[in-house]
Amino acid sequence: MQEATFLILTALADGSQHGYGIISDVARISDGRVRLRAGTLYTALDRLRADELIDVDREEIVEGRLRRYYQLTPEGGHVLAAEAARLQANATVALSRLRLARGLAT
Amino acid sequence: MSGAVQSERRERLERSYRLVLAWYPKSFRHENGEEILGVLLASAEEGQTRIGVAESAALIRGALRMRLRPGPGRLPWTVFVAVRLMCAGAVVQFTTLVTLLATSASIRMAAARGGTPTHSLTFTLVGEGILLGLAVAMWLWLAWANGRRRDPARFVSLAVFLLYTMGLVRDLSGHALAYAPVEMSVAIVAWAIGLVTIVLLFIPRSWPYYRQVPELARQ
Repeated sequence: MQEATFLILTALADGSQHGYGIISDVARISDGRVRLRAGTLYTALDRLRADELIDVDREEIVEGRLRRYYQLTPEGGHVLAAEAARLQANATVALSRLRLARGLAT
Repeated sequence: MSGAVQSERRERLERSYRLVLAWYPKSFRHENGEEILGVLLASAEEGQTRIGVAESAALIRGALRMRLRPGPGRLPWTVFVAVRLMCAGAVVQFTTLVTLLATSASIRMAAARGGTPTHSLTFTLVGEGILLGLAVAMWLWLAWANGRRRDPARFVSLAVFLLYTMGLVRDLSGHALAYAPVEMSVAIVAWAIGLVTIVLLFIPRSWPYYRQVPELARQ
Protein backbone atom coordinates (compact mmCIF):
# COMPACT_ATOMS: atom_id res chain seq x y z
CA MET A 1 0.00 0.00 0.00
CA GLN A 2 1.33 3.43 -0.95
CA GLU A 3 2.03 5.85 1.88
CA ALA A 4 -0.55 8.38 0.63
CA THR A 5 -3.25 5.68 0.60
CA PHE A 6 -2.27 4.54 4.10
CA LEU A 7 -2.44 8.13 5.39
CA ILE A 8 -5.83 8.78 3.75
CA LEU A 9 -7.29 5.64 5.33
CA THR A 10 -5.71 6.63 8.66
CA ALA A 11 -7.29 10.09 8.41
CA LEU A 12 -10.69 8.39 8.10
CA ALA A 13 -10.06 5.84 10.86
CA ASP A 14 -11.78 7.80 13.63
CA GLY A 15 -14.63 9.33 11.67
CA SER A 16 -15.77 10.73 8.36
CA GLN A 17 -14.06 13.74 6.79
CA HIS A 18 -14.46 15.91 3.69
CA GLY A 19 -11.72 16.39 1.08
CA TYR A 20 -10.06 19.46 2.57
CA GLY A 21 -10.26 17.89 6.03
CA ILE A 22 -8.41 14.80 4.75
CA ILE A 23 -5.67 16.95 3.17
CA SER A 24 -5.19 18.88 6.43
CA ASP A 25 -5.29 15.72 8.55
CA VAL A 26 -2.77 13.88 6.36
CA ALA A 27 -0.38 16.85 6.71
CA ARG A 28 -0.88 16.71 10.49
CA ILE A 29 -0.45 12.93 10.78
CA SER A 30 2.74 13.00 8.68
CA ASP A 31 4.07 16.01 10.59
CA GLY A 32 3.91 18.13 7.43
CA ARG A 33 6.00 15.69 5.39
CA VAL A 34 3.17 14.61 3.05
CA ARG A 35 1.19 17.38 1.39
CA LEU A 36 -1.59 15.88 -0.68
CA ARG A 37 -2.70 17.80 -3.77
CA ALA A 38 -6.38 17.83 -4.69
CA GLY A 39 -5.66 15.94 -7.93
CA THR A 40 -3.80 13.20 -6.05
CA LEU A 41 -6.45 13.00 -3.33
CA TYR A 42 -9.40 12.59 -5.67
CA THR A 43 -7.60 9.99 -7.81
CA ALA A 44 -6.97 8.01 -4.61
CA LEU A 45 -10.53 8.51 -3.31
CA ASP A 46 -11.97 7.30 -6.63
CA ARG A 47 -9.80 4.16 -6.49
CA LEU A 48 -10.60 3.50 -2.82
CA ARG A 49 -14.34 3.86 -3.51
CA ALA A 50 -14.04 1.45 -6.47
CA ASP A 51 -12.24 -1.03 -4.18
CA GLU A 52 -15.00 -0.50 -1.57
CA LEU A 53 -12.52 0.51 1.12
CA ILE A 54 -14.32 3.84 1.64
CA ASP A 55 -17.75 5.21 0.85
CA VAL A 56 -19.66 8.47 1.14
CA ASP A 57 -21.07 9.09 4.62
CA ARG A 58 -23.08 12.23 3.80
CA GLU A 59 -23.20 15.29 1.58
CA GLU A 60 -23.62 18.94 2.44
CA ILE A 61 -23.89 22.13 0.45
CA VAL A 62 -21.49 24.75 1.80
CA GLU A 63 -21.34 28.20 0.16
CA GLY A 64 -23.16 26.77 -2.84
CA ARG A 65 -20.71 23.90 -3.32
CA LEU A 66 -21.09 20.21 -2.73
CA ARG A 67 -19.09 18.83 0.18
CA ARG A 68 -18.87 15.05 0.59
CA TYR A 69 -17.83 13.32 3.77
CA TYR A 70 -15.98 10.04 3.27
CA GLN A 71 -15.80 7.18 5.76
CA LEU A 72 -14.03 3.84 6.03
CA THR A 73 -16.05 0.75 5.18
CA PRO A 74 -15.65 -2.33 7.41
CA GLU A 75 -13.41 -3.80 4.66
CA GLY A 76 -11.36 -0.58 4.63
CA GLY A 77 -10.95 -0.86 8.40
CA HIS A 78 -9.67 -4.44 8.08
CA VAL A 79 -7.22 -3.49 5.30
CA LEU A 80 -5.91 -0.52 7.30
CA ALA A 81 -5.52 -2.61 10.46
CA ALA A 82 -3.62 -5.32 8.55
CA GLU A 83 -1.30 -2.76 6.93
CA ALA A 84 -0.69 -0.98 10.26
CA ALA A 85 0.15 -4.33 11.92
CA ARG A 86 2.55 -5.17 9.11
CA LEU A 87 4.31 -1.79 9.39
CA GLN A 88 4.44 -2.09 13.17
CA ALA A 89 5.97 -5.59 12.97
CA ASN A 90 8.62 -4.34 10.53
CA ALA A 91 9.38 -1.31 12.69
CA THR A 92 9.67 -3.51 15.81
CA VAL A 93 12.20 -5.78 14.10
CA ALA A 94 14.18 -2.80 12.78
CA LEU A 95 14.33 -1.11 16.19
CA SER A 96 15.24 -4.28 18.07
CA ARG A 97 18.06 -5.00 15.62
CA LEU A 98 19.35 -1.45 15.91
CA ARG A 99 19.30 -1.73 19.71
CA LEU A 100 21.13 -5.04 19.45
CA ALA A 101 23.74 -3.55 17.11
CA ARG A 102 24.26 -0.57 19.44
CA GLY A 103 24.53 -2.93 22.41
CA LEU A 104 27.20 -4.97 20.62
CA ALA A 105 29.10 -1.83 19.64
CA THR A 106 29.37 -0.57 23.24
CA MET B 1 -7.42 45.06 -0.06
CA SER B 2 -11.00 45.82 -1.16
CA GLY B 3 -13.67 43.17 -1.33
CA ALA B 4 -14.05 43.77 -5.08
CA VAL B 5 -10.35 43.08 -5.74
CA GLN B 6 -10.47 39.96 -3.59
CA SER B 7 -13.56 38.74 -5.39
CA GLU B 8 -11.97 39.40 -8.80
CA ARG B 9 -8.82 37.48 -7.80
CA ARG B 10 -10.88 34.58 -6.57
CA GLU B 11 -12.84 34.50 -9.81
CA ARG B 12 -9.60 34.49 -11.84
CA LEU B 13 -8.25 31.65 -9.73
CA GLU B 14 -11.49 29.72 -10.09
CA ARG B 15 -11.37 30.14 -13.89
CA SER B 16 -7.80 28.80 -14.01
CA TYR B 17 -8.83 25.78 -11.89
CA ARG B 18 -11.79 25.12 -14.18
CA LEU B 19 -9.50 25.19 -17.22
CA VAL B 20 -7.35 22.42 -15.75
CA LEU B 21 -10.36 20.46 -14.46
CA ALA B 22 -11.59 20.36 -18.08
CA TRP B 23 -8.95 17.67 -18.64
CA TYR B 24 -11.01 15.22 -16.58
CA PRO B 25 -13.67 13.02 -18.20
CA LYS B 26 -17.06 14.71 -18.35
CA SER B 27 -18.77 12.16 -16.08
CA PHE B 28 -16.07 12.55 -13.42
CA ARG B 29 -16.33 16.35 -13.62
CA HIS B 30 -20.09 16.13 -13.32
CA GLU B 31 -19.84 14.01 -10.18
CA ASN B 32 -16.78 15.52 -8.49
CA GLY B 33 -15.89 18.78 -10.27
CA GLU B 34 -17.54 21.24 -7.88
CA GLU B 35 -16.30 19.30 -4.86
CA ILE B 36 -12.68 19.35 -6.11
CA LEU B 37 -13.01 23.03 -6.98
CA GLY B 38 -14.14 23.73 -3.41
CA VAL B 39 -11.07 21.89 -2.04
CA LEU B 40 -8.74 23.70 -4.46
CA LEU B 41 -10.12 27.11 -3.47
CA ALA B 42 -9.94 26.22 0.23
CA SER B 43 -6.29 25.15 -0.22
CA ALA B 44 -5.30 28.30 -2.16
CA GLU B 45 -2.98 30.91 -0.66
CA GLU B 46 -4.33 34.33 0.29
CA GLY B 47 -4.36 36.56 -2.81
CA GLN B 48 -3.45 33.71 -5.17
CA THR B 49 -4.69 34.32 -8.71
CA ARG B 50 -3.04 31.53 -10.70
CA ILE B 51 -2.84 27.82 -10.28
CA GLY B 52 0.57 26.56 -9.16
CA VAL B 53 2.74 24.26 -11.29
CA ALA B 54 2.66 21.39 -8.77
CA GLU B 55 -1.12 21.67 -8.39
CA SER B 56 -1.58 21.71 -12.19
CA ALA B 57 0.71 18.69 -12.59
CA ALA B 58 -1.23 16.72 -9.94
CA LEU B 59 -4.56 17.57 -11.59
CA ILE B 60 -3.38 16.72 -15.11
CA ARG B 61 -1.84 13.46 -13.87
CA GLY B 62 -5.12 12.64 -12.11
CA ALA B 63 -7.11 13.52 -15.24
CA LEU B 64 -4.96 11.25 -17.42
CA ARG B 65 -5.37 8.41 -14.93
CA MET B 66 -9.12 8.90 -14.96
CA ARG B 67 -9.20 8.86 -18.74
CA LEU B 68 -6.98 5.79 -19.01
CA ARG B 69 -8.47 3.80 -16.15
CA PRO B 70 -10.15 0.58 -17.17
CA GLY B 71 -13.92 0.53 -17.47
CA PRO B 72 -16.15 -1.33 -15.02
CA GLY B 73 -15.32 -4.98 -14.43
CA ARG B 74 -12.06 -6.61 -13.60
CA LEU B 75 -9.40 -6.94 -16.31
CA PRO B 76 -7.56 -10.23 -16.76
CA TRP B 77 -3.91 -9.76 -15.82
CA THR B 78 -2.86 -10.08 -19.47
CA VAL B 79 -4.93 -7.07 -20.58
CA PHE B 80 -4.07 -5.18 -17.39
CA VAL B 81 -0.33 -5.53 -18.14
CA ALA B 82 -0.88 -4.77 -21.85
CA VAL B 83 -2.70 -1.52 -21.00
CA ARG B 84 0.09 -0.50 -18.61
CA LEU B 85 2.68 -1.28 -21.31
CA MET B 86 0.79 0.91 -23.78
CA CYS B 87 1.02 3.76 -21.27
CA ALA B 88 4.75 3.03 -20.96
CA GLY B 89 4.99 3.15 -24.79
CA ALA B 90 3.36 6.60 -24.74
CA VAL B 91 5.88 7.76 -22.13
CA VAL B 92 8.81 6.47 -24.23
CA GLN B 93 7.58 8.27 -27.36
CA PHE B 94 6.74 11.43 -25.42
CA THR B 95 10.24 11.47 -23.91
CA THR B 96 11.68 11.12 -27.42
CA LEU B 97 9.53 14.02 -28.61
CA VAL B 98 10.66 16.25 -25.73
CA THR B 99 14.30 15.28 -26.37
CA LEU B 100 13.90 16.09 -30.06
CA LEU B 101 12.42 19.51 -29.26
CA ALA B 102 15.08 20.24 -26.63
CA THR B 103 17.98 19.32 -28.90
CA SER B 104 16.64 20.65 -32.21
CA ALA B 105 18.88 23.75 -32.00
CA SER B 106 22.05 21.69 -31.56
CA ILE B 107 20.95 19.31 -34.33
CA ARG B 108 20.55 22.32 -36.65
CA MET B 109 23.99 23.66 -35.72
CA ALA B 110 25.62 20.28 -36.28
CA ALA B 111 23.80 19.91 -39.59
CA ALA B 112 24.81 23.41 -40.69
CA ARG B 113 28.46 22.59 -39.96
CA GLY B 114 28.07 19.43 -42.05
CA GLY B 115 26.63 21.38 -44.98
CA THR B 116 23.05 20.04 -44.76
CA PRO B 117 20.50 22.60 -46.07
CA THR B 118 18.58 24.11 -43.13
CA HIS B 119 15.17 24.00 -44.82
CA SER B 120 15.35 20.26 -45.51
CA LEU B 121 16.42 19.61 -41.92
CA THR B 122 13.53 21.71 -40.60
CA PHE B 123 11.15 19.71 -42.77
CA THR B 124 12.57 16.44 -41.40
CA LEU B 125 12.43 17.60 -37.77
CA VAL B 126 8.84 18.86 -38.05
CA GLY B 127 7.81 15.60 -39.75
CA GLU B 128 9.53 13.58 -37.04
CA GLY B 129 7.84 15.67 -34.32
CA ILE B 130 4.39 15.18 -35.85
CA LEU B 131 4.93 11.42 -36.17
CA LEU B 132 6.04 11.18 -32.53
CA GLY B 133 3.02 13.22 -31.40
CA LEU B 134 0.74 10.90 -33.36
CA ALA B 135 2.49 7.88 -31.85
CA VAL B 136 1.87 9.19 -28.31
CA ALA B 137 -1.80 9.80 -29.14
CA MET B 138 -2.09 6.33 -30.70
CA TRP B 139 -0.58 4.57 -27.65
CA LEU B 140 -2.93 6.46 -25.30
CA TRP B 141 -6.00 5.75 -27.42
CA LEU B 142 -5.14 2.04 -27.64
CA ALA B 143 -4.66 1.91 -23.85
CA TRP B 144 -8.02 3.60 -23.33
CA ALA B 145 -9.91 1.45 -25.86
CA ASN B 146 -8.42 -1.90 -24.78
CA GLY B 147 -9.11 -1.02 -21.14
CA ARG B 148 -12.77 -0.63 -22.12
CA ARG B 149 -13.13 -3.99 -23.83
CA ARG B 150 -13.28 -2.52 -27.34
CA ASP B 151 -12.46 -5.63 -29.36
CA PRO B 152 -11.66 -3.70 -32.60
CA ALA B 153 -8.95 -1.84 -30.65
CA ARG B 154 -7.10 -5.13 -30.31
CA PHE B 155 -6.98 -5.55 -34.08
CA VAL B 156 -6.07 -1.90 -34.58
CA SER B 157 -3.19 -2.55 -32.14
CA LEU B 158 -2.08 -5.47 -34.29
CA ALA B 159 -2.31 -3.46 -37.53
CA VAL B 160 -0.32 -0.55 -36.03
CA PHE B 161 2.29 -2.97 -34.72
CA LEU B 162 2.70 -4.63 -38.13
CA LEU B 163 3.07 -1.25 -39.84
CA TYR B 164 5.60 -0.19 -37.21
CA THR B 165 7.53 -3.43 -37.69
CA MET B 166 7.69 -2.89 -41.45
CA GLY B 167 8.98 0.66 -40.97
CA LEU B 168 11.57 -0.50 -38.46
CA VAL B 169 12.79 -3.32 -40.74
CA ARG B 170 13.07 -0.82 -43.60
CA ASP B 171 15.08 1.61 -41.44
CA LEU B 172 17.36 -1.14 -40.10
CA SER B 173 18.00 -2.52 -43.59
CA GLY B 174 19.02 1.04 -44.57
CA HIS B 175 21.69 0.95 -41.83
CA ALA B 176 19.78 3.53 -39.75
CA LEU B 177 21.25 2.00 -36.58
CA ALA B 178 24.70 3.21 -37.66
CA TYR B 179 23.82 6.89 -38.28
CA ALA B 180 21.02 7.35 -35.73
CA PRO B 181 21.83 4.89 -32.92
CA VAL B 182 19.90 6.63 -30.13
CA GLU B 183 16.76 7.16 -32.18
CA MET B 184 16.82 3.60 -33.47
CA SER B 185 17.43 2.21 -29.97
CA VAL B 186 14.31 4.01 -28.73
CA ALA B 187 12.40 2.68 -31.76
CA ILE B 188 13.51 -0.87 -30.90
CA VAL B 189 12.42 -0.41 -27.27
CA ALA B 190 9.01 0.86 -28.47
CA TRP B 191 8.79 -2.11 -30.85
CA ALA B 192 9.63 -4.58 -28.04
CA ILE B 193 6.90 -3.02 -25.86
CA GLY B 194 4.51 -3.36 -28.80
CA LEU B 195 5.46 -7.01 -29.33
CA VAL B 196 4.82 -7.98 -25.69
CA THR B 197 1.55 -6.01 -25.77
CA ILE B 198 0.31 -7.84 -28.87
CA VAL B 199 1.24 -11.24 -27.41
CA LEU B 200 -0.65 -10.38 -24.20
CA LEU B 201 -3.74 -9.17 -26.07
CA PHE B 202 -3.97 -12.28 -28.25
CA ILE B 203 -3.10 -15.12 -25.89
CA PRO B 204 -6.10 -17.34 -25.00
CA ARG B 205 -6.50 -15.86 -21.50
CA SER B 206 -7.43 -12.45 -23.02
CA TRP B 207 -10.08 -13.72 -25.45
CA PRO B 208 -13.00 -14.18 -22.99
CA TYR B 209 -12.56 -10.56 -21.82
CA TYR B 210 -13.15 -9.22 -25.32
CA ARG B 211 -16.02 -11.65 -25.92
CA GLN B 212 -18.10 -10.17 -23.07
CA VAL B 213 -20.66 -7.50 -23.95
CA PRO B 214 -18.99 -4.12 -23.50
CA GLU B 215 -20.34 -2.35 -20.42
CA LEU B 216 -20.98 1.34 -20.42
CA ALA B 217 -17.72 3.24 -20.26
CA ARG B 218 -17.45 5.43 -17.22
CA GLN B 219 -16.92 8.59 -19.19
